[in-house]
Amino acid sequence: MKILLALDDTARAVDEALRLASEKGASLTALFVLDTGWSVYIGSDFLLGSTARSKFLEYTRDDELSQEQASLAAFRRQAEAAGVAFDIKTASGGRIAKEIIMEAAQGYDLLVMAAPFRRGLEVMRDAPSAILKAATCDVLFVRGGE
Amino acid sequence: MEERKGMAHILAIIPGLAVMIGTLYLLRTFVEPWMKEAVVFGQKGWLVQVLSLNYILLSIIAGIIYRNVFFGGKIPDWAEAGFRTTRLFIKSGVIMLGSLYTLQKLAKVGSIAILLISSFVFGTVFFVLWYGKRVGMDRSMIGVMGASCGVCGVSAAVATSPGVNAKPSEVALAIATILGFGIMTMFISPFIGKALALSDYQFGAWVGTGILNSGQVLATCLAFNPTFAPGTAVAYGEIWNVVRVISIPFVVFIITTWACKAEAAESCSTAGAQMKLSKVFMDRFPIFVLGFFGMTAMSSLGWLGAEGSNTLHLLRDVMSWIFGIGLVGQGAYIDIRELKRAGGKPLRVGLVAGTLKYVVALVVIMLFVSKDASF
Repeated sequence: MKILLALDDTARAVDEALRLASEKGASLTALFVLDTGWSVYIGSDFLLGSTARSKFLEYTRDDELSQEQASLAAFRRQAEAAGVAFDIKTASGGRIAKEIIMEAAQGYDLLVMAAPFRRGLEVMRDAPSAILKAATCDVLFVRGGE
Repeated sequence: MEERKGMAHILAIIPGLAVMIGTLYLLRTFVEPWMKEAVVFGQKGWLVQVLSLNYILLSIIAGIIYRNVFFGGKIPDWAEAGFRTTRLFIKSGVIMLGSLYTLQKLAKVGSIAILLISSFVFGTVFFVLWYGKRVGMDRSMIGVMGASCGVCGVSAAVATSPGVNAKPSEVALAIATILGFGIMTMFISPFIGKALALSDYQFGAWVGTGILNSGQVLATCLAFNPTFAPGTAVAYGEIWNVVRVISIPFVVFIITTWACKAEAAESCSTAGAQMKLSKVFMDRFPIFVLGFFGMTAMSSLGWLGAEGSNTLHLLRDVMSWIFGIGLVGQGAYIDIRELKRAGGKPLRVGLVAGTLKYVVALVVIMLFVSKDASF
């Protein structure tokens, strides 16, 4: 069995994916998607000068990279402690849900993710609904609480 | 979307741009004339006269429909580069608006605009700093909300957040709040303005002071009166807008300095701690404002011809198309589903500060600004 875990700020999703992988003896892949959608999100604003715009985009990129490091390090620590074999993948795109759907189509049996999904601009969007409609494998949504 | 270069970039712009231009053409040629003739509630032209559904608001509505209905919530890749030119169109339009004034006229109205804008910008900033703390919002977000409610919405939020270490996902929520509030005010303000019989001068001053986002100020003024000429709502509203735009660097500096004085250094980035006003001014000053003043200088020197000249007539006709095309694009960046997810403390603070500013500005304008225009 192959499980895909979509990483965000929700610790319970990681716990649940590790528990399932351990119980079923499944292989676990953690996916972190860097959000590159900010340029489009602020694309219509006409007042911003190019310096202010590029500084902000640099800032969001740095924030994404530091979240990636923190998130992957925390996952690695927990997976090693749980004794689960794991793999890590990263992707980037303007729509995180789309990247998750594309990865989930690569022969996984189960996708585990938090609902609501808290990553980048997905806080404004409804990634779980989009994924539920398009996913080609089973999906387990883990409640993250507020 | 991957970045394209040279000719490929120009070609990528064409499909989206064609949609924007084609939409405006249809709206101006068929839809608006039909609406002017249509009889609703027994009144000919009710849709345009009462609801202000002229080509300006229709352009924004068309853009919103494209994104939320036809595009399924995301501008498709084939149209993205074209729709992104909306920024360029609005910016060019604002520069051309400079031709509606002379330096003498600007000086005449400018002092009132500076007084009102300064009071409302900084009044709102200080209110948000106080109220945000009261509702327990974290210091970074208080800074971002203070800037975006105080001055120019999205631009101010984006310009402030790196200095105060605001979490980008929370900035997105703040932007959604500001845009959502702005869209609401954009549609109701022309109706209120007409119901209260505000003059173009009063209306321009009110929305220029009370509406949070600059693009929405322009659209609202044009919805109230779509004419491009000295003495119209857009001519007054834009003076207020320009004063506001110029105040962005000062607001960013004050808020970042405030954030860096926090006991918890989390709300202050390294860049924020080393911030200097001159550097902020250089980085955040919107250069296109110089173009606006350049046009005003040309107008003052008579280089654009006298009022009623063919040059001015052509310029204003071009302006109406430029803004219309740009506003179709602006509408296409409004995702209703995203706006509906705004919530939490940013929404609470944004709504309270935005409503207060909007209502108090109306009261002040009605009490202290005469109906008679200064020019």
